[in-house]
Amino acid sequence: MALVTIKRNSPQHIAIRVLGVLLVAIAVLWVPTKMTTGNIDSMTNALALVIAASALNLVIGYTGLISIGHSAFFGIGSYATGVLVSKYGWGHGWSMIFGALLAFIFGFIVALPALRIKGIYLALVTLAVAVLFPTMMKWPKLEWLTNGARGISGIRYEELPSLPFLGELKGRDDRTVFFYWYAIMLVIITVLVCRGIVKSRMGRALIAIRDNEIGAEVMGVNLATTKTLVFGVSAALTSLAGSLSVARTGVVTADGANLTLIGSIVFLVVMVVGGAATITGPIIGALVYVWVDNYTRTASASGDGLIGWLFDWSAVSPASIILSVALIVLMFVAPDGVFGLVRRLARRVAVIK
Amino acid sequence: MSEILRTHDLRAGYGLIEVLHGVNINVDAGEIVVVLGANGAGKTTMMRAISGMIPRTGVVDFLADDIAHLSAHKVTARGIAHVPQGRGTFPELTVEENLRIGAHSRRDSFAADIDYWYGVFPRLQERRLQRAGSLSGGEQQMLAIARALMSRPKLLLCDEPSLGLAPLVTRELFEVLQRLNAETGLSVLLVEQNANLALEIASRVYLLETGEIVSSGTPDEYMNNDAVRKSYLGH
Amino acid sequence: MSRFFQYLFDGLSSGAIYSLLALCLVVVYRGTGYLNFAQGEMSMFCTFLVWKLNDWGMPLWLAAICGMLIGYLGGATVETTLIRPVAKRSQFAVFVVAIGLFLGLNSLAGAIWGAPPQETMPSLFPNEPEDFQRIFGASWRYQSIGILVVGLVVTGLLFALFNKTRFGLAMRAVASNADSARLVGVNTGRVLAASWGLAAAIGALAGTMVAGTTGEVVPGLMFSYFVYASAAATLGGFDSLGGAVIAGLTIGVVENMAAGYAPKWIGQEMRLGVALLIILGVLLVRPTGLFGEQKVSRV
Repeated sequence: MALVTIKRNSPQHIAIRVLGVLLVAIAVLWVPTKMTTGNIDSMTNALALVIAASALNLVIGYTGLISIGHSAFFGIGSYATGVLVSKYGWGHGWSMIFGALLAFIFGFIVALPALRIKGIYLALVTLAVAVLFPTMMKWPKLEWLTNGARGISGIRYEELPSLPFLGELKGRDDRTVFFYWYAIMLVIITVLVCRGIVKSRMGRALIAIRDNEIGAEVMGVNLATTKTLVFGVSAALTSLAGSLSVARTGVVTADGANLTLIGSIVFLVVMVVGGAATITGPIIGALVYVWVDNYTRTASASGDGLIGWLFDWSAVSPASIILSVALIVLMFVAPDGVFGLVRRLARRVAVIK
Repeated sequence: MSEILRTHDLRAGYGLIEVLHGVNINVDAGEIVVVLGANGAGKTTMMRAISGMIPRTGVVDFLADDIAHLSAHKVTARGIAHVPQGRGTFPELTVEENLRIGAHSRRDSFAADIDYWYGVFPRLQERRLQRAGSLSGGEQQMLAIARALMSRPKLLLCDEPSLGLAPLVTRELFEVLQRLNAETGLSVLLVEQNANLALEIASRVYLLETGEIVSSGTPDEYMNNDAVRKSYLGH
Repeated sequence: MSRFFQYLFDGLSSGAIYSLLALCLVVVYRGTGYLNFAQGEMSMFCTFLVWKLNDWGMPLWLAAICGMLIGYLGGATVETTLIRPVAKRSQFAVFVVAIGLFLGLNSLAGAIWGAPPQETMPSLFPNEPEDFQRIFGASWRYQSIGILVVGLVVTGLLFALFNKTRFGLAMRAVASNADSARLVGVNTGRVLAASWGLAAAIGALAGTMVAGTTGEVVPGLMFSYFVYASAAATLGGFDSLGGAVIAGLTIGVVENMAAGYAPKWIGQEMRLGVALLIILGVLLVRPTGLFGEQKVSRV
């Protein structure tokens, strides 16, 4: 039993919620003002993962469909921005919207097999999609569009628009800050969209499908439209992250980390580690992932600390090893991820009724 | 007559729901014991608890050995064969392969046994290379019983063998069971819902209601009991 | 005409590897109901071990056998300790564990043996430049013939195991009806573990042969083979051993022919695309594959 019971919507409950929002706001403001440029850049990277993992969460966590193909949607966004901005002179914003629309359509199409096949077969379809995407981007027959294996570079914001509270932005440091806020904006959109879906009738339909598809159908859920729609939305959101990444780095290659199967796996890892089927889970998962990645990279390189000692002999970043162990351990100990674990512990202390 | 199976305070269930609330039954060597019970009484649960398919608490002694904590495949090795509800044949394997796998727990050669069962159930021999899933309900039931007996058990557990079978086929089945019991001394624990034919071959009868044994006696007592007749014999 | 035979021979050789790895996938699927996403990486890891044993002085054929034994033990252990306990939770949890294995084995191999390939791997078969046979004007290397022969032998042994042995019958019984298998005295746990072990052992052999062909062992050794094998298992039907073999050889030949006769369309990169399109096509049109059955029971 919990130690404390708090009534829903009571003054204490509202106070907790306000406190939560305040903490988040402080954290969001802390990053660009108090952290080094390198760290801000890492945070922006994490935010891109938040978007992708949240999008994936809609499909896997809430609807119960397995997908390891979302890197292709990330790639659609990346290439849409890359091609349209550098080859055809579009604006970044428009390219992002176009990419999202394109990804929505492809997500919709990929979901069509999901209507007929289950579980592991769907995973295979998405695997094929994930591996097919970089292959197609490197296909000589499409080189006129994609530059093949060379990729597209030099996709930059020529002039950063001046944001109201930041004033004029010049130079690398300001650029980093700009993209941080760009990412924050996209994350807010993503979270609002996800939250909106989850709390709506569609969200209940998704969960019904996940828990008992036949039962859901009996209750009147249209499986076909629901599955294809959620896949489409998920794909569109993921493509936003892709566009953001390209805008930030200025380069897109078919073998880029997030555009290949490894990218899909990373999104999955972030989602699972953070906690599937929750809004906050992917956020925590992304932070954990980026932190582990950075920490192990620097620690093993310099040989410091426990990680350094453990992995001194290793030639590659031990982040993947740690994460794979964590993934397996989580399935035993905390299948609902870090956030799920925290929530369960928190419920021992206080419960909101 | 020696007792070969004894359960005492047998409890089992699924998840948090307890279905058997302390079942006490026993089977003596050479008996055909029939357990009557309606849908939901816990008959299948009881059989699965005895054969080790589900976790259970309480005492289950077989041939004076405690088997209450053994897993199912070890219980079979001890000499209990369970024909589950719904036959439980291996549909993708052929009739002959079903029989061969039935002898899995034996170390000696069993070719003679297969021939013997083909003799008892000639229809199975006709279909020996056919996939078991393509057999009719009655043939699958024969196959299931033959398969169970391939392991030369001392006790046969039969869970509603008449389910879905025509009365004529059921009669044939029970005649076989009775013959085996008379010729080889095979002990049988038989669970049935509609028990007209079962009572004819029973040595003793138990009545199971909502997870507990509420009465026991001879077949005559049950056939002459109005309440039982109405509920379980249909007339 | 000799071009045709060249593509045919090359296709049969690569197809033999696809078939072998596809057999691994089918054995695991039939035995336990899961697709082992980490099959390729397990195979790669065992291959590294084989290389290491050979590097320490063991003759290659002996190292390969040891690698297979270690693979068997490893596969069986993984099934018992990681897969079975998690299987009670959900199919997705098993998938996540497989992804974890995939990632972990890949990074571990890279960490231990170094990412850029420094290891050269000898072949199990005679592999000098002059070791080939001319047939119909095309040259077929002894190595390639050897791989095909080994592949067919392994397939034959598997068929014998499943259809002629007591244990093989037990494995098929568990796949058909696990509950009834328990009731006839089959230790289903042992069967499940054996399925994974067997698959891992065969995978180790396949990986050793692949490394012998390319001459080097790298962490990414088996990934594309895994995709081809998945395509073969999908095309043949995940529960059909024969289907996996036929499909694997077919995909090998088709892919080689396509790449050979249409190099502008199907270059090096798009070869894999052929397999991927096959996966997509089959799953859309006939998900159970050419030889698969409508129903496959789960454990």
